[in-house]
Amino acid sequence: MPQTKDTPLGRAGGVRAGSNGPVPSTRRRAWRRRMEPSRPGAARACGVVRATPPAPRPPGPVGHRQVIYREAGQFKETYASDQAIFPIVQDRVVVLAAAVAAFVVPPLVASEYWLQAVLIPFLIYALAAIGLNLLTGYAGQLSLGTGGFMAVGAYAAFKLATAFPQLNVIVVFLLSGVVAAAVGLLFGIPSLRIKGFYLAVATLASQFFLLWLFNKVAWFTNYASSGTITAPDRTLFGALITGPNSTPSARYLTALGLVAVFALVAKNLVRGRVGRSWMAIRDRDIAAEIIGVRPLRTKLLAFAISSFYCGVAGAELVFLYLGSAETLAFDISISFLVLFMVIIGGLGSIVGSFLGAAFIVLVPIVLSNAPHAVGLRLPVALQKQIELMVFGGLIIFFLIVEPRGLARLWQITKEKLRLWPFPH
Amino acid sequence: MRVRIVSIAMLAALVITAPMLVVAQPKEMFIPLLVYRTGPYAPSGIPIADGFVDYFTLLNERDGGINGVKVAWEECETQYDNKQGVECYERLKGKSPVLVNPYSTAITYSLIPKASVDKVVVFSMGYGMSAASDGRWFPWVFNFPTNYWSQASAVIRYIGQQEGGVEKLKGKKIAHIFHNSAYGKEANPTLEELARKYQFELTLLAVDHPGQEQKATWLQVRRLNPDWIFM
Repeated sequence: MPQTKDTPLGRAGGVRAGSNGPVPSTRRRAWRRRMEPSRPGAARACGVVRATPPAPRPPGPVGHRQVIYREAGQFKETYASDQAIFPIVQDRVVVLAAAVAAFVVPPLVASEYWLQAVLIPFLIYALAAIGLNLLTGYAGQLSLGTGGFMAVGAYAAFKLATAFPQLNVIVVFLLSGVVAAAVGLLFGIPSLRIKGFYLAVATLASQFFLLWLFNKVAWFTNYASSGTITAPDRTLFGALITGPNSTPSARYLTALGLVAVFALVAKNLVRGRVGRSWMAIRDRDIAAEIIGVRPLRTKLLAFAISSFYCGVAGAELVFLYLGSAETLAFDISISFLVLFMVIIGGLGSIVGSFLGAAFIVLVPIVLSNAPHAVGLRLPVALQKQIELMVFGGLIIFFLIVEPRGLARLWQITKEKLRLWPFPH
Repeated sequence: MRVRIVSIAMLAALVITAPMLVVAQPKEMFIPLLVYRTGPYAPSGIPIADGFVDYFTLLNERDGGINGVKVAWEECETQYDNKQGVECYERLKGKSPVLVNPYSTAITYSLIPKASVDKVVVFSMGYGMSAASDGRWFPWVFNFPTNYWSQASAVIRYIGQQEGGVEKLKGKKIAHIFHNSAYGKEANPTLEELARKYQFELTLLAVDHPGQEQKATWLQVRRLNPDWIFM
């Protein structure tokens, strides 16, 4: 069992097959590259699980005073604890603390500008990026139809919310996700025959077709003369959460709650049978078919679930962020933007979707505010051009430094932290 | 190493404190200008943006401002994009603007519901939501002197004049080539109503964003051979 080296115990014991350690054979490296996204599972399979309780030891992380991120001494005594999303105590604590902080801190301290112009779009794009990551990162189906699927969600939410004013807005979001899933299923059918760039072109067709449809058929906008959809006022637990009269905090908390739940669902999906069948299809579809993964069901499921996420994100974009939108808000640039988020964040990584969304949403805003903040007055056009150039440069820089995305950088940081303070 | 850390820390502190050092000057009215000097619509956006700046400068230098109050402005680049426009509005509304000039119909639509909550005046002159002309329902939005509906009827009236009276419009072919967005679509209901009233034949031809692909539209125009084209 060569994987033993990858177990946390093996790593902590000083044997390391990482980038700076003893160079593994090319074959083994190739195997590792393929297995990358499912590595926690691989490590799990080889078993640090003990059938019998270990000899009594001091609980919690022990050892060197300076070592803060180290799992030595944490023993898994049940399969459940071994299969946890975050098997290491420190990870659990940090993620939980971050989640609690995300719910508590910004509504208290962040200004309206930060909530409205930075954090809410970040959360919405993170949800869309998770959706595309399920499809492109995990199932390996390149899609450029994200903007179209988001538009389906937005227009479905608008139609549902105006046709059934009594319907809870969360139910509206979920139902609009279902509508988007159905549309995604339809446009996923070509994926059974075509792959790669050709599939990207086929999904591009869906992008253009859907926007054309919403622009052309006035029924979708309730016959508004301008073709614009506007989010009506809706409440949740007695508080307004959509429409112009809702507070940014309420909208932020709604977006955060949805993205937290859906990220958890996505994480569990990709850890389970569904996610593994997606990865099998991605890595080698013929081999996957031979071992019993049905391509039809697996690919279409990926399209449906991905579109569901994108649809909910699209509904949120109109209801929680913009307030009103026309089809232009969902044009092809959105599809590319979400794809960049997934690529920069890390293909096949849930945390990468968040990192990528943060990068794409935050960096332009920081860049456009930076000259002002240091008292530099540039003409806006020049500033915009500089912003675009620096932003593009940063994208290229990060892709050269780490082609597997920010999530991989995060992973490397954790691995280094494990050995810290010993240079290795 | 230490020098680097200290310099980074100082730079960070500067970035945070610099905006606070700018002292607000009284006797100025602040007008945020949402402009699109870049992006696909820049060719029309640059002269308009320059025009605003030139006119405000003229008012300040020649008349000492408006009623003795100098005009202060800040431009914000929107690229004619809804999301960037909303971001600009959120950034600049804290500076207590006299009015906001979105210069995009789509951005105006996004700002109309927000403006009434924030108590900010949106001035979309000649564009934006035509229905907002009715101040009973839209007290915070102004779009004088014209709106898309009055512009459309003015065009039809002019065509009528050229033809020798609006009753001569009967049976004429008029094509409306419009940008397939809120900006272009707003005039359509008026044109349709007038087409019914004066019995001319109206053809609506949409040009999609960003407007570079117009071949199909002009092929249709050639086939239709309209008497008048309204763009």
